[in-house]
Amino acid sequence: MNGKFMEMLENFLLPIADKLNNNRYLSALRDGFMVALPLIIFGSIFVVIANFPFLDSMISEEAYKAYQNALGPASAATLSIMGLFVIVGIGYKLTEHYEGEAIYGGVVALAAFLILTPQVLEGVSGVIPTASLGAQGMFLGIFTAFISAELYRFFVQKDWTIKMPAGVPGAVSKSFSALIPITLTLSIFLIVRILFSYTNFETVQNFIYTIIQQPLTELGSGLPATIVAVLLIQVFWFFGLHGQIIVNSVFDPIWYALNDQNLSAFQAGTELPNIVTKQFVDSFLVGMGGSGMTLAVIILIFLIGRSRQLKELGKLGAPAGVFNVNEPIIFGLPIIMNPLIIIPWLVAPVVVTIITYFAMSTGLVPPPAGVIVPWTTPVILNGFLATGNAWQGGVLQAVNLVIVIAIWWPFLKIMDKSYYEKETKVKKS
Amino acid sequence: MKNIVLACSAGMSTSLLVAKMEEIASETEMEVQIWAVAQDKITQEMEKADVLLIGPQMRFLKKKLSKAASEWNVPIDVIDPIAYGRIDGEAVLNKALELLNENS
Repeated sequence: MNGKFMEMLENFLLPIADKLNNNRYLSALRDGFMVALPLIIFGSIFVVIANFPFLDSMISEEAYKAYQNALGPASAATLSIMGLFVIVGIGYKLTEHYEGEAIYGGVVALAAFLILTPQVLEGVSGVIPTASLGAQGMFLGIFTAFISAELYRFFVQKDWTIKMPAGVPGAVSKSFSALIPITLTLSIFLIVRILFSYTNFETVQNFIYTIIQQPLTELGSGLPATIVAVLLIQVFWFFGLHGQIIVNSVFDPIWYALNDQNLSAFQAGTELPNIVTKQFVDSFLVGMGGSGMTLAVIILIFLIGRSRQLKELGKLGAPAGVFNVNEPIIFGLPIIMNPLIIIPWLVAPVVVTIITYFAMSTGLVPPPAGVIVPWTTPVILNGFLATGNAWQGGVLQAVNLVIVIAIWWPFLKIMDKSYYEKETKVKKS
Repeated sequence: MKNIVLACSAGMSTSLLVAKMEEIASETEMEVQIWAVAQDKITQEMEKADVLLIGPQMRFLKKKLSKAASEWNVPIDVIDPIAYGRIDGEAVLNKALELLNENS
């Protein structure tokens, strides 16, 4: 490939990566998900334990139900209402960015979101449907957090304070400093809620869900959008830029919302509505064995590698690769800017995406159950957990691994040969 | 005692490098402390750092971090991709020391 052309692409991609990563809203969004992640994983662990394989056939139906009910609150309080934690995280991080009192930014975002959330369920008032706090409220929550943090900052900067008569201690008037911005911010959200109650949508949540979230998630749940996302991640990595960090900040809200829908269905024992979810992408596509599925490359090096350079790299990369950390391969093979590698690098993930999608849509393998598996979980166990303890999930990962190895085979062979020849030449001379 | 901080997306791949750098540092009885951080924690760690090195896959962070780094007077650079791929602790450690010397 032409060196000039590569340089041009790099000059084109770096500013995009820079913009996406340094945009204050996208970084608050990404960090917000990071805040929620430990809680999400805690909930996922208990979903996995509650649905332990074969347990339902080992103990009585009653005992199994009691067991599931006992563990239920763990995920109900975390994974199922993850929107809440993401919102607090976004409000906190955005306010921190503006160097305001971050904790107020977090709680204002939370309160603003709850004001806009339906507080009635099937005619019973005084309740908040948990569905609104999870997948359904995801987009509303994100927008609310952005807007409330901005409003809070705006009112803080206006510095409207209540004038206290002389002699009132400074600390007393200071205690009002957060009061006015919070009151004004939340009042605006209350007005918005009241206005929406007169429309056909009835609630803001319903409005955002119908107008924005549903069309976007529908688009994002399709195979074409997923292939585009996967290709983007691979292209960024090809230039040595962290693809997921960049692309996920745009796709995560969609993928997490789809994930949560599956979780509700999984726990209710009904049919899982989505194939493309957060875990579909992380466990089966680009995250498998490290970004770009490079565990397959390490295995291939052990199978056919003759050159000392590749063998060394395999040894260096293997222990990390098992836990899906693969920078040694990306920068050591190298994959970056390597014209020979671009074909398997782009083709393999797309092929695996299509195979995984159809394996799940035809029912051969159950779709992801909505649990979030820590991304360092080794392949096969990872797929097993992601599909809600289904052995087919582990097998699918193994099959995908073999496919990636097959696609890489001729290209790595060429590379290994040229390295090997260079090494023997050096030895002779 | 000099503090060297490495940063990447989750602090995972740079922690591989940290282990290698520590090996080299202890062989030569160098007085350094080296640790890896995730990208969302970088600004908090800046205060303790004497030098900050970013993984090449996160090089788009350099511009943003440079501002904060200059406030703390912390020299900052992107790790060489080849050294990163080889987990070449010695090369990266030397780079860090070089930056430290330039800054002092």
